[in-house]
Amino acid sequence: MNAGRGDQSHLVRTLRERPAHGCCRTLVCGLAMGIIACLAAARQAAADDTAAEEQAAFAAAVARVAPSVVQIETVGGKEQVEGVLLGTGPTTGLIVDSDGYIISSAFNFIGKPASIVVRLPGGTRKAARLVATDHARMLVLLKIDAGRPLPTCAIAARAGMHVGQWAIAVGRTFQGDRPNMAVGVLSALDRVWGRAIQTDAAVSPNNYGGPLVDIHGRVMGVLAPLSPQAGEVAGVDLYDSGIGFAVPAEDIQRVLPRLKKGEDLQPGLAGMSIKGANQFTAPPIVAACRTNSPAAVAGIKVGDRIVELGGRAITRAIQIRDEFGRRYSGDKVSITVVRDNKETRSELQLVATLEPFQHGFLGVLPMRGDAEKGVAVRYVYPKSPAAAAGIVADDILTSLGGEPVRERGELIQAIGMFEPGSEVELGVLRGDARRTVKVTLGTIPEELPPDELPAAWQQSQASATKTTQGRGQAGTPGQQFGAMRLKIAEYDNKVWAYVPAGYDPARAYGVVVWLHAPGGYDWKELLARWQPLCDRHDLILVAPKSSEAARWMPEEAGLVDRLLMHVGATYHIDPARVVVHGYEGGGAMAFLTAFRNRQMIRAVAAVQATPVGAAPENDPLHRLAVYLAAGDKTLADGPIGKAAAAMRRMKIPVTTKSLGQGTRYLNADELSQLARWIDMLDRI
Amino acid sequence: MKTLLHRIVLILTVILIAAAAGGAPVVATVDQVQPKVVKVYGAGGVQGMANYQSGIVISATGHVLTTFSHVLDTDYIDVVLSDGRKFSAKLLGADPRLEVAVLKIDATGLPWFDLAKATDAEAGTRILCFSNIFSVAMGDEQASVQRGTVAVRTRLEARRGVFETPYRGPVYVLDVTTNNPGAAGGALVSFRGELLGVLGKELRNSLNNTWLNYAVPISELRESVEEILAGKFVARRDAPEKKPERPLNLAALGIVLVPDMLERTPPYVDRVQPASVAAKAGMQPDDLILLCGDRLTQSCKALQAELQGLDYEDPVKLTVLRGQQLIEFTLQSVGPATSKKGQP
Repeated sequence: MNAGRGDQSHLVRTLRERPAHGCCRTLVCGLAMGIIACLAAARQAAADDTAAEEQAAFAAAVARVAPSVVQIETVGGKEQVEGVLLGTGPTTGLIVDSDGYIISSAFNFIGKPASIVVRLPGGTRKAARLVATDHARMLVLLKIDAGRPLPTCAIAARAGMHVGQWAIAVGRTFQGDRPNMAVGVLSALDRVWGRAIQTDAAVSPNNYGGPLVDIHGRVMGVLAPLSPQAGEVAGVDLYDSGIGFAVPAEDIQRVLPRLKKGEDLQPGLAGMSIKGANQFTAPPIVAACRTNSPAAVAGIKVGDRIVELGGRAITRAIQIRDEFGRRYSGDKVSITVVRDNKETRSELQLVATLEPFQHGFLGVLPMRGDAEKGVAVRYVYPKSPAAAAGIVADDILTSLGGEPVRERGELIQAIGMFEPGSEVELGVLRGDARRTVKVTLGTIPEELPPDELPAAWQQSQASATKTTQGRGQAGTPGQQFGAMRLKIAEYDNKVWAYVPAGYDPARAYGVVVWLHAPGGYDWKELLARWQPLCDRHDLILVAPKSSEAARWMPEEAGLVDRLLMHVGATYHIDPARVVVHGYEGGGAMAFLTAFRNRQMIRAVAAVQATPVGAAPENDPLHRLAVYLAAGDKTLADGPIGKAAAAMRRMKIPVTTKSLGQGTRYLNADELSQLARWIDMLDRI
Repeated sequence: MKTLLHRIVLILTVILIAAAAGGAPVVATVDQVQPKVVKVYGAGGVQGMANYQSGIVISATGHVLTTFSHVLDTDYIDVVLSDGRKFSAKLLGADPRLEVAVLKIDATGLPWFDLAKATDAEAGTRILCFSNIFSVAMGDEQASVQRGTVAVRTRLEARRGVFETPYRGPVYVLDVTTNNPGAAGGALVSFRGELLGVLGKELRNSLNNTWLNYAVPISELRESVEEILAGKFVARRDAPEKKPERPLNLAALGIVLVPDMLERTPPYVDRVQPASVAAKAGMQPDDLILLCGDRLTQSCKALQAELQGLDYEDPVKLTVLRGQQLIEFTLQSVGPATSKKGQP
């Protein structure tokens, strides 16, 4: 079982011994010229031998596995998945059990073929059925009834594998009865969250599903397109790029009994997240823990430091991802955490799906100035938990669970971490009277905003900053006010923007990115519509034009990211009110952009647009709210209604606005209402 | 453009690896092969069609073997030798069926490959490729060298539309990304420098949507090249596909398939006509016809096309999937009663 390194050093040794023989003979001759000539010849011969021996070893290695490498043919099924055209050609599988069990790459079956036929070496065809799918490692198990024991292969131990050793990828997809091979080396171990080994041998649909073997013909893994990105076809774009993946054979053997029983395997989820933007350096401290998740059931709490997982000592956040990444739903993992300097050991059992997270909601809008004593209440939602607890406007929220709160963003995040139904203790200051109230949190409302909203700034505060700061004196480089053009390097798109002329650096401004419908937009019209709203609600409007007037290209989502970064670096931005707003195709683009950039974008406001892509997971740390305006019919049961329902299932609050019969944009009143909706995004 | 860049980076990487992994025989081979590889320039340069490719010298007196392609579709073909000397070339002849052509330049005393000494390779043979991929080499710069392995010796799938080339013979499939613009006509040699084949064009495999990296074995080209050199070449034509006078169809067998609604509707049997050949043999509704003879029939259209190639009276072997069983039927149409001729 000790494959890999040992074998290769053996090869190297035999090669080194040969020239030495040559040398001895020439020395006996005693002729200086002869020595030199013979040495050169010997070296040439030795090198020739190296190539010849390696070549023979490759062929022998392939010959050892060839009887277990089968060709798979399929009939029927989809022709395209996720925009990737599926082939109809034969693919490869590997016999892993003499009873007729065959492992192959799930990529070969994503079209869900009507029937599967396995062609054994020699040409016999057998009908096959798909027994189970491993969704974590993108493999499938097939079964045929061959009527005789089938040959299986020796397995290379994972422990004996070393980067740099020979690796030969074997497939059986070409005409004739010969396997095809590609030679390379092992490039890396523990790739794609510990699920794969990597090779530079050419890996493509020509050998997906076939084995990656060592120089002795032992199976190291099964070739499959993999990628850290999710998706059924992820990783296919890497074909023949020098990057190929194989799922270690040992891992497959371990789960084979489960697959044979027909159990589909899913990636295992624990339901907790770790603090810190950089997983590679962040300490392994729990930042959030889902209700009813395996982590919560195991008693893990926010603030716990993880020190052990599945027997491995943990010092950095990234190790946690790797440990969970290699495991399946149903797997049990030991976990040790440190809380208050005490170690607690428990065990959690991973699950395939978590109940979607839902943010807790208190029912207030905060004032936006930094009150010294806490967060001042701007508005109390009627019938909200806050109203029930007797909180009124102008109260100051001073503490949560005994911890002082100083800042609006902090309180939004802290309350959001609790799920609805949780009871929290709030410190409330009214005048000079302090008290503590217990509030059972509710859910973020989906209603349209009221007709009037109190100001987000206390009169005194606003006027004070006005006089001291004044307009345009903040001194940040590149700051301009009013209507302007923006230019982002690398993008040719024309971009207009409006920053309220009375910009006050003490205030935090929301950002509205406008993504126009096909055909572009007229800046003067757009500005006339938005300028009063921007001024009233402290909003910055950014309006890029698509590079092709007729449509947005998915790559242009990157432009929106860059614009947001630029605006964020130049102006004082309120991270709770960053919105992408689009009409028709621009609305679809808004969803695409927001689903990708959860870090920065807090809301999507789409008019007459169908969301594209699957509804994203709700995220405790990054809230997302959706506003959908469309005609009655499409809202009710059209694709827009369906997408809204899907997002609600993920517990993302969706506010809908009916536009009656029409397929039009918002009128002036409706647009003011949308602006108020945006104004309320910093709700707590 | 992204994929092009991808490929260039890949090739450069491969070249670097080749250099590192080379060792003595590879170095000696490269020295020996490079003077025999040339750069060919001709028509193209528009609509993404390259106006360059590669070639190999096959006589001391200036015969150059290259791929028959659009690049040669001009009166002004230039050949640049590895030492930078540039010659106008004349197209001596070509075999379009094999996509091979011979050029002649006015030069003597050239190092050359003797086609008679070319050998064959099998899967696993370690190989070197010499070509002017992406026209990286200019003037006296030498061809780009790539290192790889013969993945398999196979035939290009004969089914129409799988590969866009008239060539249907044996090829060496390679495990290295060789077949990029400019590679066609380049040399495939063993580590010892024996000539094995000529690199082919860019070819897409429509069965799995990948690019095929391949070379045509010299043994397949030798006869045509010798005839061109001797001035005796007569263009061969593939024997025209034999179209039976009265092609077989499903109705004659008594088989009615499900309605053909999709691009690739699986050929499920909808009905079997009572007392028909298929009924007598025991075919049933819901049988999925998987094979016609030994050919996979992935759609109703594919099955019908296969039958079209058979004569009415030929026996036909159909393999169906029923549940998890593969069942073979050999059917022979008795022909329609009305056309029974030759009654005494």
